[in-house]
Amino acid sequence: MCRLVQWSRRIACACLVALFVMCGLALHAQDDGFKPVPILTGSAAYFTRVTGGQFQNTPSVSPLLLMPFGDKWLLEAKGNYSDTFAKEAGDNYYGSTTAYGLGYAQVDYITKYVTVTGGRFITPFNIYGERFGPNWIRALQISPLCSPLTSGSALGGMLHGGFPAGSENVNLNYAVYFSTNNTHHLLATDRSTGGRLGFFLPRQRVEFGASFQQVLQLDRPHSSGAYLLWQPYRAPLSVRSEYVRSSGTKGSGYWIESAYRLSQISPLRRLELVGRGQQFFAAANLSAATIKKLGAFGKDTTQADLGLNYYFRSDVRASLSYGRQFVLGTNTNTNLWTVGMTYRFLMPLGPTGRSM
Amino acid sequence: MKMNRFVVAAFFAFALLLAVSAFAGTGSKDSPAPAVTATSGGSTQDEDMRLEGEKRFRANCGRCHMAPPKFAPRMVATIVRHMRVRANITDEDRRQILRYMAQ
Ligand code: HEC
Repeated sequence: MCRLVQWSRRIACACLVALFVMCGLALHAQDDGFKPVPILTGSAAYFTRVTGGQFQNTPSVSPLLLMPFGDKWLLEAKGNYSDTFAKEAGDNYYGSTTAYGLGYAQVDYITKYVTVTGGRFITPFNIYGERFGPNWIRALQISPLCSPLTSGSALGGMLHGGFPAGSENVNLNYAVYFSTNNTHHLLATDRSTGGRLGFFLPRQRVEFGASFQQVLQLDRPHSSGAYLLWQPYRAPLSVRSEYVRSSGTKGSGYWIESAYRLSQISPLRRLELVGRGQQFFAAANLSAATIKKLGAFGKDTTQADLGLNYYFRSDVRASLSYGRQFVLGTNTNTNLWTVGMTYRFLMPLGPTGRSM
Repeated sequence: MKMNRFVVAAFFAFALLLAVSAFAGTGSKDSPAPAVTATSGGSTQDEDMRLEGEKRFRANCGRCHMAPPKFAPRMVATIVRHMRVRANITDEDRRQILRYMAQ
């Protein structure tokens, strides 16, 4: 026991020393004449959710450490911590559950056409997981119904990148990855492989693409998906949409979301209106036992959400949303409310050069 | 059916939002408004580079989240490197946006 404590102390000390050495090295990184500095960023949030009359209060924090090395390397590590205080309908008791985990911890080696990533990372399937995971970014706090259809985290390697595809107005982006199976409760990943191919047209601010994922364990489901993003220059509008189809018992679904910033009406210019519609279709011919086992994925579901986001600054935001979920065949309609605040912090861990 | 009516209403609201945006767009061109403001001065070449950087910033940096403000140069270098990895922006976009944001 005593030896164990000694060892864990030694490991903690070694980690600290390694962190300082890395910080020192990182301070000497180069980039086109600007030396990148290590940064501690991430977000803190507080949300109250009311799902069918049940209250949940959740404070959370997700720190992200960015450590650049040389002119081609980046080390990024993100953790998540949240406490959920729940209250049953008609009950005064608030039980609390703590959740923490490693969002990702990856090393990136960047070249003109290929970035090589190794470690734990977010799987490149469609757009929601990689782009709208952080709560300071997502326009509605509730994730789409079809998000859990695919494996969200990977432990392995990925090749990805973006470059102009023959013309100034077409940028191609791609990602292929491989992940091993990991059963650790904080780091669980599936053995899987897959990729994504996307085209971005900067003059129209339109992006579209397709993804594929093959899980290589258990019943080996595969999923394919497509996505579209459009942000016209003429209006402060963003439209985004995803479609996913999975094999086996998992079903399929789509969502379409639009966010409109009232920037042309001076007193309301910090306000954003959001709407999202989505449908989930359970796989056909499921047995009663499978439906029971699948829970939420056993039934066709339709959901509509409306939200308001008020931007105090680009990094501080208050949000309110209302949604209604209809589960077909059970006559269950549920109201979903969320209200809360998000704050994205960003601090340098070294000298920053000339201040702005 | 009650549910169908709600879904129809929600999609109608979407369509309305799209229509409103198409008409409302005529007034202002820059949307979402870039949080970065121009700093003038220098030669025409500098000015051309600044405009190119601003164009690339506007095309890329407000797509997934609210476009950020300017930061100190060494912070911008880290952020833009991170966005090259996360958002797969091109090498040229990274270079131009870095210069523009670090100005
Ligand atoms: C494809 C989507 C996407 C695009 C395009 C994008 N970002 Fe990001 N950005 C993200 C995501 C996702 C995060 C959050 C990363 C995390 O916390 O895991 C982020 C985080 C940030 C942060 C917080 C600090 C950090 O590095 O995490 C800043 C600042 C930022 N982006 C600036 C920019 C700038 C400048 C551009 C234009 C070059 C840009 N972003 C383009 C998705 C994007």
